[in-house]
Amino acid sequence: MSTPIVGLIMGVIFGASLVLTGLTNPDKIIAALRLKDFYAIRTVAVFLLVGMLGTWILDLFGAANFDIKPAVILTVLIGGALLGIGLGLTGFGPATGLASAASGRIDALVTVIGMIFGTHVYILIYPSVVVPLERILNLGNVTLPQITGASAAFWVVPIFAAGSLVLFITRSREPRDDEQRIKAGNSGINEAFLDRPILIPEETGSLLRSDCLKAAYVFRRWKNLLFLVMLLCLLLVQGSFWLVSTGQVEIAENTNPGTTVVPGADIMQAGQAAVPAEESPSPWLFGFDVTFERLTSIVRIANNLLVLASVLYALIMYFGLGVSFKGGLGGLAHICGALYMALIIFVLLLPWQNFFGPIAMGATYTLNELARWCTTDISDMFGMVLFYLRFTGYWALVMLLLLLAQLRSFRWARAILR
Amino acid sequence: MEESNSRTPPLPWWAAGILLGLVQVLAVALVNPMGVSEPFVVADAKVLNRVAPEYSENHPLLSDEQYKKFGYSGWFNIGIVLGACLAALHLRAWKVRTVSAWWKQNHDAPALLRLIAGFCGGVLILLGARLAHGCITGQFISGWTQLSLSAIPFTITLFGFGMLVAYLVYPKAPNRFRREE
Repeated sequence: MSTPIVGLIMGVIFGASLVLTGLTNPDKIIAALRLKDFYAIRTVAVFLLVGMLGTWILDLFGAANFDIKPAVILTVLIGGALLGIGLGLTGFGPATGLASAASGRIDALVTVIGMIFGTHVYILIYPSVVVPLERILNLGNVTLPQITGASAAFWVVPIFAAGSLVLFITRSREPRDDEQRIKAGNSGINEAFLDRPILIPEETGSLLRSDCLKAAYVFRRWKNLLFLVMLLCLLLVQGSFWLVSTGQVEIAENTNPGTTVVPGADIMQAGQAAVPAEESPSPWLFGFDVTFERLTSIVRIANNLLVLASVLYALIMYFGLGVSFKGGLGGLAHICGALYMALIIFVLLLPWQNFFGPIAMGATYTLNELARWCTTDISDMFGMVLFYLRFTGYWALVMLLLLLAQLRSFRWARAILR
Repeated sequence: MEESNSRTPPLPWWAAGILLGLVQVLAVALVNPMGVSEPFVVADAKVLNRVAPEYSENHPLLSDEQYKKFGYSGWFNIGIVLGACLAALHLRAWKVRTVSAWWKQNHDAPALLRLIAGFCGGVLILLGARLAHGCITGQFISGWTQLSLSAIPFTITLFGFGMLVAYLVYPKAPNRFRREE
């Protein structure tokens, strides 16, 4: 396809998405700059994070086209300031201005005409002003990974994780009315909310109830966070299982803590262990090669985190039950179910094999155990079934329970917060 | 109309962000990260080449090959106009408007002032965008997408001055934001 047609199609998609997302509305932009409405900020943040992650993934496959702008710090600072002034004055950026003008805003149309004049001013001052300015502090077309010497993953993964975590924690607590209801409860009787059925006449009762509602908010937030942590850990553990069992990561025998290898004592074993470690870099994963030892420590951390998080998860369910009982908030059946499931998850996750040996097993597994399973011969049908049942089936059971618990407690939250 | 329009964004923020992010990823995969302000220069260069060929021959920017072809990014801008128009028609949001809700709340002056402010803002927007080698899409979004160094100073001054000016020009929030304060 020729580039003009690709450009036209991409432009149509981008312009339509700008209108669909509401970013063409100058009120949204001004409200965001005045920190009154975080819709635009959150949208742009997700835009950035998804774009960053997607570009990085494309780059791993060598399919990304980069167009790094020169880091001329001085002119970039000045340009950013001018653009910021224009943005704060009008509520339009170049792209949203064009799109907004196309959806019928006369002020946007005038802004676009202003932009054309701005271009002309830029061209006129370019030889005398811009060229000398661009000689100052020109660092060239560099990226953050280049100047820090770290891989792109080192930047993308933490930024993406931190950004999405912040967005998740600070997301709007859905129905705005709830907060007003709490406020109304706190300040006694507020006429504006008298028609709401939740307000009961006795001041003490409504105070207690609004207090319990607030506590339920806190519990819900922590519960969701813990759920995410557990989900991540479970996925990590299962992912490492597949990495090992499909042979992407070679099993290094000497990581078994039972056989500590004294350097030079057993040359044969050390040599055997060293060769596969060199041959098995998986640079596609996170930019650094995943070796068996690293994976082992990651899985160990994930296991500990899982057990800890499941304890806290069950505890929070218990407190949530108490709060909704005390405050008469309802939703008791849901939270009871969720509590039981959380307890079962906790019991299943405990590493029973450490206490009772092979007769009882927890759903978590260390990679040493996995290595033992992998190295023993499991060619027969029964062995295979047992193998996958132990490492994937058991895991899937815990995952299912976790999802069910989260679903139940979600229903609880919805029931009491309504 | 404006208030009701801005109160209910067509998509929730996460869906909106993911949609825009995927558009960017598609652009990176197909041709180049998105950018909007460059074609303005190209279009102006075309006009100047026709009107004052001697001037543009000696001009360091206009004589640059990069600014002579109206290719991908030019058509990209035309596409934005087209796509936005279609989407607005589809949402039944195509309506002639001159002032925004925030402007109405803060300035009793006639709409003409809004247009003048819009024009001055437009001049500053494109001048700033070209000085910074990219606009909000090209420098801020695409810059962060590619983790380029220049995105950091740009972000700082863009939002610093943006928030300052927005605070000066629009001190009063429209009614629906009052209650939440």
